[in-house]
Amino acid sequence: MQRLSSMILWCAVAVVGAAAFGALALGRGESVSAVWLVTAALAVYFIAYRFYSRFIATRVLGLDDSRPTPAVRHNDGLDYVPTNRWVVFGHHFAAIAGAGPLVGPVLAAQMGYLPGTLWILAGVVVAGAVQDFIVLFASVRRDGSSLGQMIRMELGPLAGALALVGVLAIMIIILAVLALVVVKALTASPWGCFTIAATIPIALLMGLYMRVLRPGRIGEASIIGVVLLLLALVYGRTVADDAVLGPLFTLSGPAIAWALIIYGGVAASLPVWLMLAPRDYLSTFLKIGTVVALAIGIYLVAPPLAMPRTTLFIDGSGPVFSGKLFPFLFITIACGAVSGFHSLISSGTTPKMIEKESHMRLVGFGGMLAESFVATMALTAACVLDPGIYFSMNSPAAIIGTTAADAAHVISGWGFTITPELITQTAADIGEKSILSRAGGAPTLAVGMAKILGSALGGKALEAFWYHFAILFEALFILTAVDAGTRAGRFMIQDILGHLWRPLGNTAFLPGNVLATVLCVSAWGYFLYQGVVDPLGGINTLWQLFGVGNQMLAGIALVLGTTVLVKMKRERYAWVTLVPTGWLLVTTLTAGLEKIFHPDPKIGFLALAHKFGAAAAEGRVLAPAKSIAEMQRVIFNNYLDAAVCGLFVLLVVAMCVLAARTCLRALGEARPSVVEIPPGVSGATT
Amino acid sequence: MSARGPGSCAVGTPASDRGAPGAATLAASLLARVARVLRQVAGAPDYAAYLEHMDAHHPGAAVLTEPEFHRRAMDRLDGSSRPRCC
Repeated sequence: MQRLSSMILWCAVAVVGAAAFGALALGRGESVSAVWLVTAALAVYFIAYRFYSRFIATRVLGLDDSRPTPAVRHNDGLDYVPTNRWVVFGHHFAAIAGAGPLVGPVLAAQMGYLPGTLWILAGVVVAGAVQDFIVLFASVRRDGSSLGQMIRMELGPLAGALALVGVLAIMIIILAVLALVVVKALTASPWGCFTIAATIPIALLMGLYMRVLRPGRIGEASIIGVVLLLLALVYGRTVADDAVLGPLFTLSGPAIAWALIIYGGVAASLPVWLMLAPRDYLSTFLKIGTVVALAIGIYLVAPPLAMPRTTLFIDGSGPVFSGKLFPFLFITIACGAVSGFHSLISSGTTPKMIEKESHMRLVGFGGMLAESFVATMALTAACVLDPGIYFSMNSPAAIIGTTAADAAHVISGWGFTITPELITQTAADIGEKSILSRAGGAPTLAVGMAKILGSALGGKALEAFWYHFAILFEALFILTAVDAGTRAGRFMIQDILGHLWRPLGNTAFLPGNVLATVLCVSAWGYFLYQGVVDPLGGINTLWQLFGVGNQMLAGIALVLGTTVLVKMKRERYAWVTLVPTGWLLVTTLTAGLEKIFHPDPKIGFLALAHKFGAAAAEGRVLAPAKSIAEMQRVIFNNYLDAAVCGLFVLLVVAMCVLAARTCLRALGEARPSVVEIPPGVSGATT
Repeated sequence: MSARGPGSCAVGTPASDRGAPGAATLAASLLARVARVLRQVAGAPDYAAYLEHMDAHHPGAAVLTEPEFHRRAMDRLDGSSRPRCC
C-alpha cells in the first residue's frame, strides 16, 4: 500500500515536472510564467534526490551507519559535534552558497533562459551534487581530512603539491572576481557605499558585544545587528541626498578597489571574534531569509519571463561575454551546476558535524541541490527583467557607450527595443543615477529581486529599498568571503613558504603572517584593480578565468572520487564520477585552450595581446585604450591571464595522469586499497 | 573553571526541565530550541552541546563557564581557515 502511494506520488511529481518543461520549451504564447521554470527545477531536484542520490548512497558508496563518523569518534562538544542532519544541511548550504550561483546565471542569461536552465539542472544532478556528496563521503571516511590531504593520501605527494598550488590560484581569482562584483555594484552609488561601509562598524560592535558585554549571546547580537543594518539601509538614501555626505560616499571604481584591498588585508588580520564571526552570522541569517523570501515572492507574483528562450547570442557574439554556447556556457555557470570550490567545504567543517553516514545523502547531495535552486532563482530574476534593461546593465561601456541614449540605440539595434527614458526611469526607480554597465550579477539580480519583492511587498515605492537590500545582501557575504578567503589564502601561502624557510610556515609567527597576508592581498588586489580599470569590462575576462579554474578544481575532485571508488573495488560504479569528469574535462579544456589560443581577439588572450602588441609597435593606440601605456598594460595582462589559464589546464592534465596511474595499479590488486578509517575503530581521542 | 557534580544543571538548561510545563515555559523551550538551531546553522559555538558532551563523556570533570567557553571557541578559529564559498 505504502509502495503504491509512493509510486503515485513520484509519478505525480514527474508529470508536474514534465508539464513545466513543456510550458518552458514549447509555449507559443507571448510569454511564459517564471513559475514554470521554478517548478520544473523543483521537480528535477526531488526526483534526482529520491532516486539518484539513493542509488549513490546505497549501491555506489555503501553508506554504513555502524561506522563511527569523525564527529562521533572525536566528539569534544566544540569542533567535533554530532549534529542533527537538517541543521548540518542548513550549515553546509550556508557555507557553499555565496555570490557564485547568483553571478554566473545572470551573465549566462544573455543566451536566453533555456540554455542556462538546462545546464544548471543537468549539471547539478550529474556532476555538482555527485561531487559534493563523494568528497564529503571520502572526507568522513578519512577522519575529516581536507581535500589536499586526501589527494596526497590517495594520489601521492606530487599530486598533493599540485593541488595546493591549484587551489591557491583559484582562490586568488575568486577573491578578485568577487571583489570586482562589489566594485561594479557600488561605483558612484552613495546609498550602496554607505550601507556597505556601515556593515563594518556594525560587525565590530556585534563582535565586542558577544565578547565583552554579553559573551556568547549570538541571538541578541544578531538582532541588534539586523536592526542597525536596516537603519543603515533606510538612512542610506538620506545620506546619498545629503549635500555634504552624498559626494563623500560617491566613489570611483579604483577608489572602491583600493578600499577593498586595504579592507581585505586588515580584516584578515583581525581576530576572528571581532569581525569575521559576527558578520558571518549576519550574512548566514540574511542569506537564508532572502532565499526563502525570493522563492515565495516568485510564486506569489508569478512574473512572466521577458527574456526569450534563446537569443541570437548563442553564436558567441554576445556583449556580456564572448564565446559560443559550447563551451562557454558551461564555464560561465559554475556554482549552481558544479563548483569545485565546494570540495573544500565538503572536506572542511561539515564532515566534523555528520552524525551518521546516511546523513551525508541529505547534506552532500541535498545541500548542492539547494544551491542549484538559488542559481535557478537568480536566472529567473535576470530573465523577468526587460531584456533591454538586462543588456544595459550587463554590457561594457566599450560596446553600448556611456549615455542612456547611446545604450538604447545600440541595444534596440540588437532587436531588444528599449527607450532611453525607460533606462533613466529604471535608474530613478531604484534610487541610482545610472544602471549602465553594472556587470557582475549583483545589480541585475537586485533589480530583478526588487521587481519581484517590490510587487509582493510595497510596490514601486519600496523598489529602491529592495534594490539596495539586495545589494547589501550580496555584498555582505562577498565581504565575508573576501575576509575568510584571504585568511585561507594566507595559510596556504604560509604552507608553501614553510617549505622554503621553516619559520615562515608557522602561523603564530608574526612576520610570516604579515608577509603571507600581504602576498595574498597583493595577488588578488592586482587582478581586481586591473579588472576595474579594464575598459573592456573586466568581469567578462575574470569571470571566465574563474569559471575555468573552478570547473578544473571540480574535475580534480571528481578524479579523486573516481580513484576512491576504484580503490574501494567498486569500479563497476566508476561511471558515476567518470561521466561528469569526462564532461568537465571536455568543456573546460576546450574553454581553457580557446581562451588562450583562439584567433578571435574577443575570445583569445594571446590574440588580443598580439593585436595590441602589433598596434603598439606601430605607435597606434587602439580603442578603448587611450594611451600607449594603457596598451602595454592590456598586453601584459592578457599574457598573464593566458599563463594562469595555462596553469589550470596543465594542473588538471597532470592530475588525470597521476590518477590514471593510481587507478590502473589499484585495478590490479585483489583487495581494496583505500586509506580509510577501519570500520571497527571507535576510540575517542578526547 | 567551576567544579560541579555529575548530572548537575548549569547555565543553558532548558527551562522546561525545571517545572511543570505551562504555556510560557513551553514557548520558552521552543524559542530556546529555535535559537539553538539557528546558532548551529550559523556555525556558532554551542555551549549547551558542550555541557551535554561533558555530562555524557566526562561526568564530574570541571567545565568552562559560558564566557570562558565562548572566548576559547572563538580564539581557536584564529589559527584555522574556514573558507566561505564563492
